[in-house]
Amino acid sequence: MPARKLPVNCPSCMNSLNVSELACPECGTHVSGSYPLPVLLRLNEDEQNFILQFFLSSGSLKQMASQMGISYPTVRNKLDDLIEKVRKLQSE
Amino acid sequence: MKKILFNPFERYSEIALLLFGLLATIVASLAAYYCNGRFDGIIDMHLAEEVPLSAPFVDNAINTVTLFCLLFILGVAINRKTRAIDVLNTVLIARLPIYLLPLFNISNRLKSIEDSINVAYLSELRLEVPDLIFLLVFALVSLLCLAWFAVLLYKGFKISANSKTTGHKVLFATVILLAELLSKYIHYLI
Repeated sequence: MPARKLPVNCPSCMNSLNVSELACPECGTHVSGSYPLPVLLRLNEDEQNFILQFFLSSGSLKQMASQMGISYPTVRNKLDDLIEKVRKLQSE
Repeated sequence: MKKILFNPFERYSEIALLLFGLLATIVASLAAYYCNGRFDGIIDMHLAEEVPLSAPFVDNAINTVTLFCLLFILGVAINRKTRAIDVLNTVLIARLPIYLLPLFNISNRLKSIEDSINVAYLSELRLEVPDLIFLLVFALVSLLCLAWFAVLLYKGFKISANSKTTGHKVLFATVILLAELLSKYIHYLI
């Protein structure tokens, strides 16, 4: 069964989605409110995987390039673009 | 295959690109010596009667260094993190299509056609059909090589400097023209 993706943007107006209900899988408790998604969760799956890879490589772009099979400047550019995107999301 | 031909910079390490670029430049300079070709500008290739062994090497050194210096300055102006090796690799690899052109002068084939059309009066012009076809093929290949050079240079620079905007593209084109002028001037001086 393919992994389900967490939607982060409204399919109707493309605005950022908020979390309005959380549920406990053990006891069935439901928590309602309005909680904005953390910045990292507002990125798409590829971007989140990229950040995870960066973390697991201890921040070594060279190691990431080797693992991903792409060149160092390509990895660096992806990181720079992602940093810019996260800064924009943080300022919203 | 498409990526290897038009954007190897995305995939290969800087060391691999540098070694391949340097080796290819040396081999191409040797080939130009045997085919009497001169690279007297960034995007130029001309034929000569006799070419000294050192000439194509000096030509390529001047063209590579000139283009590298100007592109590196632009790269750093766009993005401080631009690395010299990435720009150098861009220049070395981008010039490879141009190195194919002297091969059309194996056994002085192209030079002999050039001499036969270099007449004082148009009425004296005598061109055989096979020569005309050869010339047309050379013209077509030259244009394709030039386009290939431009694509490689742009893709490589885009990755080296992470350039994005239309303004960057305009500056890139301007720098290429400046590099061509500067390289021609340096060739003229020596």
